[in-house]
Amino acid sequence: MTKNHFIYLTTLLVSIPLFAQQEIVKDTTEVQRLEEVIVTGQHNPQSVGKSVFEVKVISRKDIERQGGNSLADILNTTLNLNITPNTSTGKSGVSLFGLDSQYFKVLVDNVPIINEEGMGNNTDLTLINLDDVERVEIVEGAMGVQYGANAVSGIINVITKKSSRNVWDISTYIQEESVGDEYEWFNKGRHIQSLRVGHKLNKYLYANIGYTRNDFGGYWSDRMGEKYDRNDDKRGHEWLPKLQQNAKALLSYSKNDFSIFYRFDYLNETIENYSKLVAVNENPATGTTHPISQDELFTNNRFYHHLNLTGSIFQKINYNFSISYQEQTKDLERYSYIIREDVKENIEKGQYQQRTAFFSRGTFNNLINTEKISLQAGYELTNERGSGSAVAILITPGEEKTTQNLNNYDFFASSEIKLSESFSFRPGARVSFSNIFDTQFIGSLSAKQSINKGWELRAILGSANRTPNYDELYTYFVDVNHNVQGNPDLLPEKGLSAFFHIKKKTSLSEGKIRLKNKLSLNYLGLNDRIELIVVQQSPLAFQYNNIDKYRVIGAFMENELYVGNLKAQLGASIQGISKVLKTNNNNNDDFLFNLQLNANLSYTLPKWNTTLSTYFKYIGEQQQFVEKTNQEGVQVFETGKTDDYSWMDATISKSFFNNNVTTTIGARNLFNVNSVETTAINGGAHNGPATQIPLAYGRSYFVKLAYNLNL
Amino acid sequence: MMKTTNIFIYITLAIFGFASCSSDDNNLSTDPFVVAYEDRSANLKEINVFEDIMLIYSTSAIEAGGFSITVTAENAVYGVDFTTEPALINGKITLPINQGSNSNNFKFRLLNPNLDETTNIIFKIDNIDYPNASIQGNTTFTINSEAALGGSIQPEVGGPNEQFQVYVDLSSKTTKQVLRDSWDLAFYSYDEFRVGINGSIYMAAAELEQSNIDNITQADVADLMPQVAVGTFDPSNEIYIDYPDGDINRTAIKEINLEDALNKVYLVNLGYKVGTETPTNGSVAVAGDARGWKKIRILRDGTSYILQYADLNDTNHQEITIDKSSGYNATFFSFDTNSTVSVEPEADRWDLNFTVFTNIIEGAGSYGFSDGVLHNRKGGVTVYTVSTEHYDYDTFLLSNTVESNFKLDQRTIGETWRNVMNDDKVLNHNIFYIIKDANNNNYKLKFTALLNDQGQRGYPEFKYELLK
Repeated sequence: MTKNHFIYLTTLLVSIPLFAQQEIVKDTTEVQRLEEVIVTGQHNPQSVGKSVFEVKVISRKDIERQGGNSLADILNTTLNLNITPNTSTGKSGVSLFGLDSQYFKVLVDNVPIINEEGMGNNTDLTLINLDDVERVEIVEGAMGVQYGANAVSGIINVITKKSSRNVWDISTYIQEESVGDEYEWFNKGRHIQSLRVGHKLNKYLYANIGYTRNDFGGYWSDRMGEKYDRNDDKRGHEWLPKLQQNAKALLSYSKNDFSIFYRFDYLNETIENYSKLVAVNENPATGTTHPISQDELFTNNRFYHHLNLTGSIFQKINYNFSISYQEQTKDLERYSYIIREDVKENIEKGQYQQRTAFFSRGTFNNLINTEKISLQAGYELTNERGSGSAVAILITPGEEKTTQNLNNYDFFASSEIKLSESFSFRPGARVSFSNIFDTQFIGSLSAKQSINKGWELRAILGSANRTPNYDELYTYFVDVNHNVQGNPDLLPEKGLSAFFHIKKKTSLSEGKIRLKNKLSLNYLGLNDRIELIVVQQSPLAFQYNNIDKYRVIGAFMENELYVGNLKAQLGASIQGISKVLKTNNNNNDDFLFNLQLNANLSYTLPKWNTTLSTYFKYIGEQQQFVEKTNQEGVQVFETGKTDDYSWMDATISKSFFNNNVTTTIGARNLFNVNSVETTAINGGAHNGPATQIPLAYGRSYFVKLAYNLNL
Repeated sequence: MMKTTNIFIYITLAIFGFASCSSDDNNLSTDPFVVAYEDRSANLKEINVFEDIMLIYSTSAIEAGGFSITVTAENAVYGVDFTTEPALINGKITLPINQGSNSNNFKFRLLNPNLDETTNIIFKIDNIDYPNASIQGNTTFTINSEAALGGSIQPEVGGPNEQFQVYVDLSSKTTKQVLRDSWDLAFYSYDEFRVGINGSIYMAAAELEQSNIDNITQADVADLMPQVAVGTFDPSNEIYIDYPDGDINRTAIKEINLEDALNKVYLVNLGYKVGTETPTNGSVAVAGDARGWKKIRILRDGTSYILQYADLNDTNHQEITIDKSSGYNATFFSFDTNSTVSVEPEADRWDLNFTVFTNIIEGAGSYGFSDGVLHNRKGGVTVYTVSTEHYDYDTFLLSNTVESNFKLDQRTIGETWRNVMNDDKVLNHNIFYIIKDANNNNYKLKFTALLNDQGQRGYPEFKYELLK
């Protein structure tokens, strides 16, 4: 039944355009020969080649080809980056250089995007919709001078569309996707519908609005969903079902060198967590049962406002101001579900976590602007207020919630100094004042050397701090048997990164064959790493402290080849991680290495208006030291291992009717990965370690039918 | 242009068409409508003229109906020795099922108070006139002079604070509730002169070197105090608690010696008041504020105990004589009331105690456990655990019991009936227990709930049945 639906739908979607297909289509898929223009970390928007930083770009085309609806859909095959889904919360984070999403910052148009647990960091990638996105820029390494706290392992800057060449752009699509081999019209699979309308009101004024609905039916596996009344661990879902609705609007005005835009983004998400536990409520007297489960519904509401002004004063100094107000509230509704009667009882509604932020960033470029020196200075202001309820974090009993105001007032400057046509370097510094932490100073230094014949050398030294999170600051779990406490006196963790890139561009046969090869060496270190440690032996007490160290060293290479309509990309990375755990006696701080490979291939058949793409990534065995008790009862460190796995997506995309209609058919996760075996997780105080890490829900397929009308 | 516009309309319709309806699958089973006795038996000796016999329905009746009951009596005659209301008509008691109700009852009236052990009266549900009805569960109600046949009990320990200890007697199907922090010391009534501390509030006691209670000050014991507590994760703290298996010879306080000089002063950690906070669903908050410290010394006086006690820095002390209580396991004393208090029922009138208790975790020392069920070891009760891998609860018979399996350790049930290690707090469905009471009645017992309908802890429930 499930598969039949899917086949039916596929046929339906694919066949519509075919009826009308016999028109002669001219070659419009011209290979993009101009280098992409980027903004991340730049004084002024400029090409990737001129950038002092090494910026990876995922273009609109790549997003389309991967059937990418959210950031979580497109990053799986990016080198070094790993997507880490959490099946129990429904969120997807990032792991880069072994560091989780707390150390990674996601920005939209240079503004950090809020979530209930952070401002820019801790982002749930499934909440970053890509429908109005022009490109995604990724920078690895600490970017604290440019983007402030928590930009430790790297950043993603999502750049949205702000203008159009057409008077009207109307685009709509539906995307039907299986979740593993599960698909049904409503309850299973993923169903996406989207509509966007853009209009150029006059020469200077442009507006667009958009709406996207993304209904994820969850991954059921052998689970039975909500309406199931037996207590055999089968109720509910393996991955939580969720429904996202996202509305966006943009108004922009641009005249001469002045432009202003206002962008609004509203997101609503409902996550359904149906408990696998069923209280059977046996009545021994009557021999009947009355099954009840304790279910949870999470609702996320996110508001994003962003006003941006750019222009120049005296036709010399460029300014760029952003003001943003953002809010994300996660509410929790808990209730007892009388399963057979379909009745909710004991409904409790309340706020789970909330965060609001006022953010402003301003930069002045070319303050000094000679042939050799350009100076940028700027400020960044963040007034952030976050709260977590007692359900969300462990706080002092009796308190309903804990609230924190974090105000940061940062000033930064950087200058680009061109010593010669081929050599430039860029020192930068940021000072950060805050209401909670001592004043922080961080710096950066990058240099770029161009050598003839297409060689480029870049060396980038960056730093950034990670702000302690709520659990680390405020946890309070003290009773007769336990004493685990947060530490309000924690300092931010200090991160430092160094990257060295050698890049060579080659052009053969008069530009018909182009090659880009890059070799990079990287180092990333963290000091004052926060860890939960024993602060008193008897009675035993734990507290978070700035104590440990974390280091990553590695090398990676990325190669791109363009031959006619073929684009190929091949990458390899080897990264070693060392952890110093000062409170563990037998700590082993050896570097443990992990290999990653990736390959992307796309080929366009101009006559057929068809592009074939595959995306591949291999993640080698990952190792980690885990604390175990051996047979003699002694604590030892053993090397735990997480199995290797491969990830591959493949898509075919074909356009019809002067590119007005595009269908994309794709398969994700061709190697059918579900979870990997691991021995690399430490056990908790009461229970043994997990032995499997859920990564995905198996091979799945999608069909996307998009219609674009440009007038 | 027309073509593309049509497609656009089609897609738009498809989008909003999809979004506007939803389907409804389910995998639910249904139960029949059942009328059954709430209890399975009553004891003839405890019936004082009248006994209301309750019948309950599996769900509220959504329409009207009725049911009938037959009566079988051995060594008793209807109308002479006993009668019922409503009366027997054509050999049957007939009762209505009223729409909207979920129970009904009839009266048993004892006419002859001299009925003896040979009398056995059985009321059996004979017919239920209601759609999709089934006669199942407690289909009969027995009146005789034997131990209770079983049933279902919800010991009211008080919810997530578990502020009560509940003593359960299976053979009389009765419970007694006592506030956990209403007592401190248990002076045992047996031949040994032994004194226990209240493990349900995490008390601890350490023997000092002095035997003059008035000479001890807080400064003398300051170094010792952090160790004399439960849950310090120091394995050596086991000596400060009564050994949790309930062995009367392994209490924290040594046997009271005839010779006064050998009875040392003890430093006593009074543990914690019962908790009052409301924890998140599924968790417990059993411990409240610390109750402080005492110094005590216990002596013998004939067949009685003498308790000397004072606050740590006091230079004089109070003294009270405490007698052993015949028929009870112990005499209980409270520092809050400075007097003996009633706690346990008579030694042969309880089998299980639902209580928070102090246990030992191998290698980590003493540790507080909630949801504990301790059996009356001192009163002669023994218990063992059966895995459902070997026997099904429903089909387990007296002939399946193995005498040598019965264990003394009062923690045999303990906390083994539930698992609260993970976020999900669950019953262990794969075990049940066999309990032998002091009168050699054997019961099988299985837990049916740990949480209430809202998912809160501290609402245990079990079913049990006399093995025959």
